Amino acid sequence: MNTIVANVLIIEDEKQIRRFVRAAVEEENCQVTEAQTVAQGLIEAGQSKPDLIILDLGLPDGDGLSLIRDLRSWSDVPVLILSARTQENEKIAALDAGADDYLSKPFNVGELRARVRAMLRRRARTGELASPIVEFGDVSVDLSRRRVTRQAQPVHLTPLEYQLLSALLSQPGKVLTQRSLLHDIWGPTYIDSSHYLRVYVGHLRQKLEDDPAQPKHFLTETGVGYRFQL
Amino acid sequence: MLGTPYSVKRKMNSKASLLDQATDKFNRWQSLALSLLACATTTLIATPLLDYLDLANIVMLFLLTVFLVAVSLGRQAAILASVLSVVLFDIFFVPPRFSLAVNDIQYLVTFAVMLATGLITAHLAAGLRQQARESHYRAKRTQALYQVAHQLAGALTVAQVVEITHRFITNELKAQSAILLPDENEQQLVAAIQSVDLTVDLTFARAAFENGKRVYNKELGNMGYAPLYLPLRASMRIRGVLAVQSTQQAQETTDDLTSLLEALSSLGAVALERLHYVEVAQLTEVKMLTERLRSSILSALSHDLRTPLTAMVGLADSLALIKPPLNPVALEIAQVLQEQASRLSNMVNNLLDMARLNAGKVVLRHEWQPLEEVVGASIKLLGTTLDRHKIKVDLPRDLPLLNFDAVLIERVLCNLLENASKYAPPNTDITLTARVQAQEVRISISDQGKGFPAENRENLFNMFVRGESETEHSGTGLGLAICKAIVESHHGRIVADNQRSGGACVYFTLPLGSPPTIEQEAI
Repeated sequence: MNTIVANVLIIEDEKQIRRFVRAAVEEENCQVTEAQTVAQGLIEAGQSKPDLIILDLGLPDGDGLSLIRDLRSWSDVPVLILSARTQENEKIAALDAGADDYLSKPFNVGELRARVRAMLRRRARTGELASPIVEFGDVSVDLSRRRVTRQAQPVHLTPLEYQLLSALLSQPGKVLTQRSLLHDIWGPTYIDSSHYLRVYVGHLRQKLEDDPAQPKHFLTETGVGYRFQL
Repeated sequence: MLGTPYSVKRKMNSKASLLDQATDKFNRWQSLALSLLACATTTLIATPLLDYLDLANIVMLFLLTVFLVAVSLGRQAAILASVLSVVLFDIFFVPPRFSLAVNDIQYLVTFAVMLATGLITAHLAAGLRQQARESHYRAKRTQALYQVAHQLAGALTVAQVVEITHRFITNELKAQSAILLPDENEQQLVAAIQSVDLTVDLTFARAAFENGKRVYNKELGNMGYAPLYLPLRASMRIRGVLAVQSTQQAQETTDDLTSLLEALSSLGAVALERLHYVEVAQLTEVKMLTERLRSSILSALSHDLRTPLTAMVGLADSLALIKPPLNPVALEIAQVLQEQASRLSNMVNNLLDMARLNAGKVVLRHEWQPLEEVVGASIKLLGTTLDRHKIKVDLPRDLPLLNFDAVLIERVLCNLLENASKYAPPNTDITLTARVQAQEVRISISDQGKGFPAENRENLFNMFVRGESETEHSGTGLGLAICKAIVESHHGRIVADNQRSGGACVYFTLPLGSPPTIEQEAI
């Protein structure tokens, strides 16, 4: 038997969905706790101290948003959201409330396992002393010396470009909403000026991606925000 | 000079007709007879007093009589009384009595003064009487209008408004009327109410309705049609026409009657306009409720369909996780099950999207953004679907920001790329290009497949139409219809064409507009 690497809490009211999510998560050597409602989910989150919570946003006894906000007041456990495809606003609200990532229904087991692995890996890393050097593709970023090189050649970034890069790099794999990025980098008055963010992400892609039209690291979550992927 | 008393008389008659008939207690002959009687009575009373009174005082009695007659019986009776008084005074009191002859010439002065005083009194008293009648009539008219206004304010339906107006004209003005309202298409005027023996000339009614001016034609009245047409003018527009024919002997319509009718028609028009806006408000509310219902049905439906589909996809997938592993045939079937469930899920998504787009439920979230980004996201989203082809993206470096809803345009690009990958042979190129042309950007997706069939090409964008009716490729024929709906909601157009080299090419346009400026960063 493989050793258990993590505790995962699944909060989902549909029995059949819970069933295969559980099977997929157990395949990643995780121990699974289940809850069917918001109330039960909060109790379980307190008792079983999970390393990851998988949360369906459409629960019958209340919305998942309030659960996330409640949870975030005392825990930083990663939260993966399961949500309907067309509900961009719902996803944004959940991400802004503190969720880490989302999957649109229907999703296949492969996708789910990949997300679970990525999130658990990130959680494991947060404990370590983070290295100041991040490398992806042929790019290397030294966060301590604010230096970016590509194929060993220095890349010039403007101050805002560098701020955006370090914001994205700080939480690899996590979806950052447009709103939160605009707020953190440009300030609260720019929250509705999404074109700034898009243009600057475009600059980063031009400077750091092989094919800016088909990026591999600075990914767009259409209608929601951006995700940096190593 | 002759015309004046005539028109005054007419005026009086018409006014009298507007009043309750009871105010004129006696007709003309009766009042003349009464006048005669009054003078005779005065003579009878004065005769025994002749021994005690001077003739001058007898004259006073006659003048009093004339005055009373003038006040109570009107001008004509008063004139008769004046003349009669002089004659009776002469015959019965002035010596020689019982003859018209006069001994003393100075009595002629008495007669002249008596007659003059009588006539002046008659004139003044009758004028007073007429003024009293007029003010009475005005008060009554104001009160009647007030009552109509009150009733109209409380009217809840067009039928009530029409009925109240018509009843007022019938009962208070003793006239026949019809109220004409435009039909639903504003094409024709239709009588909403009409007095039994009144005929209406629609040409004149139409003229009043279109020009907003009253139309009066006396000839028409003589021919048995309603002679007067008044537009029902409210603040926003003309709501209908009121046609009137007076039943009084006075065939012509007087100024007073007309102004009363105009006041009435504007009251009616205001009531009709109020009802119109009430109806508009109600319709809007009903529409809102319908929309709300439709969208709640849509979201309930999409939730109810998606939940079992999610379970099916996931459960079919998880068959591969079972330990010990299933045999290869079962695993392959599990894989097929998963694919079919995913396909079904895509179809459901397409149907729901189409329903939402058709219902006008989609609120565009326009944002200025580079096209490049949504192109990259679409290719990423399709993932393995595009594995069999090489995707070439050709975007000009200086392409300006465009204003569009990223989620929806991503949908268009995904549908078009997926179509290309479905119909083009494996290992060929699929090319996505964008070019600025005049005031728009043209984004085209071309492949190296067979292209679209020659006939029926415009129909491709209709719902449930597919390029080839019998093919091995799955689909609902909704993909292009969704693209069309989305592109058109962005004020663009979408065209399916074949390239000269043979492959299919679908392009759509997005308007350029003027993108917001980006402040240069101080470095």
